[in-house]
Amino acid sequence: MEILEENDLKVRFILRDAPIAFANSFRRAMKSLVPTMAVDYVVFYMNTSYLYDEIIAHRIGLIPIKTDLERFNMPERCVCNGEGCPNCQISFRLNVEGPKVVYSGDLISEDPEVKPVYDSIPIVELYEGQQLMIEAVARLGTGREHAKYQPVSACYYKIVPNIVVNENCKNCGECVKACPRGVLKLDGKLKVSNVLDCSMCMECVKVCEENAIRIEETENYLFVVEGTGALPVRTVMKKALEILKEKAEEMNKILKEII
Amino acid sequence: MEGVDFPIRCFSCGSVIGHLYAEYRKKLEEGKSPKEALDEMGIERYCCRRMFLTYKSVLNEIAKFHGAVG
Repeated sequence: MEILEENDLKVRFILRDAPIAFANSFRRAMKSLVPTMAVDYVVFYMNTSYLYDEIIAHRIGLIPIKTDLERFNMPERCVCNGEGCPNCQISFRLNVEGPKVVYSGDLISEDPEVKPVYDSIPIVELYEGQQLMIEAVARLGTGREHAKYQPVSACYYKIVPNIVVNENCKNCGECVKACPRGVLKLDGKLKVSNVLDCSMCMECVKVCEENAIRIEETENYLFVVEGTGALPVRTVMKKALEILKEKAEEMNKILKEII
Repeated sequence: MEGVDFPIRCFSCGSVIGHLYAEYRKKLEEGKSPKEALDEMGIERYCCRRMFLTYKSVLNEIAKFHGAVG
């Protein structure tokens, strides 16, 4: 594994020598198995704004919340059996009167460490005489259940190809012109300047009259993972691998029992 | 205010964009083109870009009648 670019919200890395099935299960684990916090239940005491309760509840649900995986349990695996207790959920209060724009930062958390990632997401605008009084309950969940629990937004990979130029090449430059991504370069000899941009469209292979270019699939993958801010992307990657390992061990155990 | 019911997430990829609309608006008021504004803010994918380009506030349309009804 080689990391090309990294910050809390985006990681680009190359995964080397892995079967494609593993690359895909890694991607899927990051998207749908790593838990994050999101608001799941909203009690409306008062809503005289122009939006329906459901729209406001949906908007609040989509706000990413800073998650501490050590502190909270998944509701179904919690000591309270999913009834809801301080170990698996946290509530936010909000009571504002118009005229005012309600932002995600106006949600008052029970715990100052568990709060929305961004404070400046507008939820609704209240006009003169309107009031919004709610209680929002957040819990852990996985992307498998609802997309709002996904810790990553864009998460994709592609094969890093191996572009082979053989001795038939006459350095005509047709392939350089044909490539839509500028992967090839003619610098005295035909060279591959940035393989990572190659989308394996095969335009260069088609245009080459000498059959000098071959594009091979490899077992290396370029991953791009973008986070929502609920968890740092590196934590998401680590957690996804842990979950995969756990699942594989469980599978081994089952297999041993059968044989 | 413009942008109070701007989508919190991009419909297609789920990237969080709700907090960026005010900044986008400010950049447009400075005379930048939508392309320049979105490029500066690092909105790369066209799914997220169309969220900004095609947004129209429903809330503001309703609010014109504030006080006239209920």
